[in-house]
Amino acid sequence: MWICKNKLLFKVIFSSLLLIFLISCSSDSGEKNVDQFTNTSEKVLSEKKNNNNIVSAGKQLNVLYSDPPTLDPHRAQDSTSAGIILEIYSGLVSLDTNLQIIPDIAESWAISNDGMKYTFKLRDNAKFHNGKKITSADFVWSFNRAANPATTSITAEDYLGDIVGVQDVIDGKTDKISGIKLIDELTLEINIDSPKAYFLAKLTYPVSFVLDSENVKNKNWTDSPNGSGPFMLDEYLIGEKLLLKRNPDWYREPAKIEYVSMNLAGGQAMAMYENGEIDLTGVGMADLERVLDPSSDLNKDVVIAPLSFSQYYIGFNVQKPPFDDKYFRQALAHAINKELIANEVLSGMVKPAYGILPPGFPGYDKTIDGLKFNEQLAKDMLAKSKYSNINDLPRLILSVPGTGGSAGLDIEVIIEMWKQTLGIEVEIQQVEWATFLQMLNRQELQFFSGLGWIADYPDPENFLDINFHSTKSTNHNGYKNEEVDKLLESARIEQDLNNRMQMYNNAERIIVDEAPWIPLWFPGDRYVLINQRVKNYKLTPMSVPKYSLVEIVD
Amino acid sequence: MWKYIVGRLVWIPFLLIAVAFITFILGRFGPGDPVEVMMGTKYNPVVAERIRSEMGLDKPVMVQFYKYIQSASKGDFGESFRFRGRSVSSLIAPKMIVSAKLSLVALLISISIGLPLGFYIAHKQGTWIDPLIVSFSVFFMSIPIMITIPFLLWIGCLKTNLVPCSGWGGIFDSRIIIPALAMGIPGVAGMLRIMRATTLDVLGQDYIRTAQSKGLHYFTVSTRHVFRNSIIPIVTILAFSLAGLLGGAFITETIMGIPGIGRFSVESIFNRDYPVIMAITLIGATAFVIANLMADISYSIIDPRIRYK
Amino acid sequence: MNKNITQSKGHFMTALSRLFRKKIAVVCIAILIIIYFSGIFAFLIAPYEYTAQDYSNIKKPPSIEHWMGTDRAGRDVFSRVLWGVQNTVIITFVAILTGSIFIGVGLGLISGYRGGRVDSLIMRIGEISSSFPDILLVIILAATLRPRILGFIRYLEDAYNINGLVKTGIVDYLVISLALVSFGWIGTARLMRAQVLSIKQNQYIDSAKSIGASTSRILFLHLMPNAISPLVVSITMGMGALVGTEIILSWLGLGVQPPRPSLGRMLLEGGSISVLREEPWLLIGPGIVVFLLIICWNLLGDSLSDVLNPRTR
Repeated sequence: MWICKNKLLFKVIFSSLLLIFLISCSSDSGEKNVDQFTNTSEKVLSEKKNNNNIVSAGKQLNVLYSDPPTLDPHRAQDSTSAGIILEIYSGLVSLDTNLQIIPDIAESWAISNDGMKYTFKLRDNAKFHNGKKITSADFVWSFNRAANPATTSITAEDYLGDIVGVQDVIDGKTDKISGIKLIDELTLEINIDSPKAYFLAKLTYPVSFVLDSENVKNKNWTDSPNGSGPFMLDEYLIGEKLLLKRNPDWYREPAKIEYVSMNLAGGQAMAMYENGEIDLTGVGMADLERVLDPSSDLNKDVVIAPLSFSQYYIGFNVQKPPFDDKYFRQALAHAINKELIANEVLSGMVKPAYGILPPGFPGYDKTIDGLKFNEQLAKDMLAKSKYSNINDLPRLILSVPGTGGSAGLDIEVIIEMWKQTLGIEVEIQQVEWATFLQMLNRQELQFFSGLGWIADYPDPENFLDINFHSTKSTNHNGYKNEEVDKLLESARIEQDLNNRMQMYNNAERIIVDEAPWIPLWFPGDRYVLINQRVKNYKLTPMSVPKYSLVEIVD
Repeated sequence: MWKYIVGRLVWIPFLLIAVAFITFILGRFGPGDPVEVMMGTKYNPVVAERIRSEMGLDKPVMVQFYKYIQSASKGDFGESFRFRGRSVSSLIAPKMIVSAKLSLVALLISISIGLPLGFYIAHKQGTWIDPLIVSFSVFFMSIPIMITIPFLLWIGCLKTNLVPCSGWGGIFDSRIIIPALAMGIPGVAGMLRIMRATTLDVLGQDYIRTAQSKGLHYFTVSTRHVFRNSIIPIVTILAFSLAGLLGGAFITETIMGIPGIGRFSVESIFNRDYPVIMAITLIGATAFVIANLMADISYSIIDPRIRYK
Repeated sequence: MNKNITQSKGHFMTALSRLFRKKIAVVCIAILIIIYFSGIFAFLIAPYEYTAQDYSNIKKPPSIEHWMGTDRAGRDVFSRVLWGVQNTVIITFVAILTGSIFIGVGLGLISGYRGGRVDSLIMRIGEISSSFPDILLVIILAATLRPRILGFIRYLEDAYNINGLVKTGIVDYLVISLALVSFGWIGTARLMRAQVLSIKQNQYIDSAKSIGASTSRILFLHLMPNAISPLVVSITMGMGALVGTEIILSWLGLGVQPPRPSLGRMLLEGGSISVLREEPWLLIGPGIVVFLLIICWNLLGDSLSDVLNPRTR
């Protein structure tokens, strides 16, 4: 999913004020607990009710969060909503802390030899919060609901579209997905249209979660959802507070803390942390020095977070001059001193990016290290391009989304670097978020920044295919390279993991060299403060269920 | 008088429809689209079309407007686009109450400091105290709130640990202190000026001198008259700050993490949540018109010299 | 008639001399003049370019070379404040000139003098525009208008081969001023109308009419001089508020576009406890300038109202 970079930078820079326009960026929240927990669930299969003595009764984890646009898993499409939904609901499979797919409600599954038929076996102890048993019929109903046009799900096409018959339901031709078959009470069969290796990963997304049909009938049912996750929604005051209460009868190992209290009103995160109002916060640039000082009280709380699976970049519309010329794009890329900006201007809060896939992401290849800073090379490339006479350049307008905050210090610095190295003048155009999106979707922007791509599931397809395949509506660059298309298409259905990653690496190499976008940073709150009383809070690069593993000691 | 009031009341619906229409048109013809915001950059024209028709956004603008006015006149402001499935009134009502409470406390601060101080310095006219205090009040009025709040937080929350750094707990919660001070102190200058001017006015009147010469206690006389004369401008200020409550406090609300309407309305604009924007604008306009009317009426009641035809 | 003018001039001169006897007013005028001049002539005064980055001087506290320190990109805060002041100066002046003076005074005069339908039409429109929650209207306008105006100016530039029009920030000035003007005129218009209505009763207007003076002549020669003192007071008082509004707009990202610095954005970037603790100069420099601007306009307004409006003295 996309995030509004401006917001993140904004946050990185002034972590306190950031909650303002979070939602406008429909993005990752101001809360960088992009992380989680996990239960290595197989081991936990045995009845865990006697485990209650571990529970620190009444223990509450306090976090700063922002208002989720919806708590309906089938309608949600942003990570703010997902962060809560993942705790309240669950689906067939889930992700663990190492981002491996683990069984959730499904205790096992079998994949047919042609890779197109998945048979899931559900656990027989899985229950909704109200104690009702979860059966395959509930899943069938939930998938049908998610795809039904009346649900107005935004993500159904992307995440369920591989299932045979889903498109017909979305188009309103029928209300039953033909590819999903109920075998018996605890067995479910899902047929997909071609052998896609990433299909299972897509099932970890909320749109494939199970819902209780009785519950959904109620008006405003998301105020008292009957989910199946480790936590239950106890109280929700929009804009104020959201309280999650432990589900004592969870079919996997129940949570160890009683409550997770989410402050939705926002405020000055760092000050709240120091005042003991919240248990964790990212460290903004302004506080970095103080926090890293070994003599500081805060120093012992510092945890270094893994980079999130996301990337900020400058995207070019390769259909529009002068970005239709590869050499011109390369010249711009070579003229940016990313190391300097990352270390000096952004105080080391980000890591310079030279490839597309972030470190730690499946398929990441560290030998891809792209277009490095080289002033001479930049000048040579410019001379080689058809726009070598910079006086004949068309007007250059770099658009950044802007609602509240600066255009991003990094962008201002980069523009200055272009001016000094290449003599190219660029106008910055800050466009309010809603307008920015509209122009982006219509490919009206000449080049843009302030956007980041955050992976929704850990598969290179979610980074490379979705952004660079010429037929995707999410390819905002107008980028089209037949070789890349071919590689991406064959990788979709390649069954051998190594071959598949090799294909993605080859595609990535071409993309990086042709520079339809200049990768800038792999962001993340590099430094996170976690109160000493909180144990086992795992920081991960993606949103996954996390709170049930947390322990609180006093 | 009654005819005047009725005339004004009859005009209100027309005014509101005009306000609604302008907001509606600005929203629909301005750039940006609620469905696209909802979908982020994961835009898919087919899905967007489907959702638009599901939300009734594909109908002609005038039809949409007519439908909106029809249901709004019955008090139904529709469903939010951003918080899908939630009615607008259930979203904004609690937020308006929060903002109202905050403004009320802020206003109380302004009044309780401003009025006595204004009364006092009017008696000190000509000495150095008068201009000094006036300048001080202007001084506090002129510090931008983006500076006051971090500063107050620094002192109150981090240095002395007196109050929590942010959040909201209603009027009787220590967390209201910093935002109320930050909003209330700048208002002192206005109250002080009104009080000073009316007091000076009263002091110059003959009847004060008469009363004094008759041996009446000076303080009772002057306070009674000053009170009568100052109540008009104060009522006006109260009425308008009630109306201006929308949007006005959004900086404070944002920095302090207060779930009020000001911040919510700004967010709603950026998210193109038309139903919410429309409702807030309409309620704001209604409040303003009524405040205006109340101010005018109270003028004529308190001061019979003012007559309306 | 002539006597009347000289009289009003005399009134003005006495007011002015009374104003200059007030120390606060004089100090404020001096400060305002300094700030406005340094803003207007930022291109001469500013020691550095507002984009000039010096990576060896990042986040340095104030020093001889950098009076207000440097920011995270090693840019000179003092120079950026000067350029930020320039934006504020331009926007406040444009908004006041077009909104309050041109539109407000014009419509107020017409409304008061003509009366009848014209009057109620103008006043009704005013009522509608003032009943919008103003900051919301400004945001909506700024958000929706900017792309249109920007497109138009770009078209102008390309069609007539003019350079650098957009770079001057003219689009932002237009958008912000338009947004501010849209509700800024109504106060002045009401004020003028009230003045006109009260002056209209006076006999000399009737006598002027009877000797065949034209409408515009009557308006400008007779009404303006009398209505001008409350107008001056209200505009001066309004300037402080206008500076504040412009800052709120930049705070929301709807103000002047980067890399052009703006005071509001600088306050936003500096306005957190963390910055206040670690790099206070990022907030203090622009903060003091904004504060001085607002307080001087307010104090000047106070003094003026004392001087021009002797009743409250």
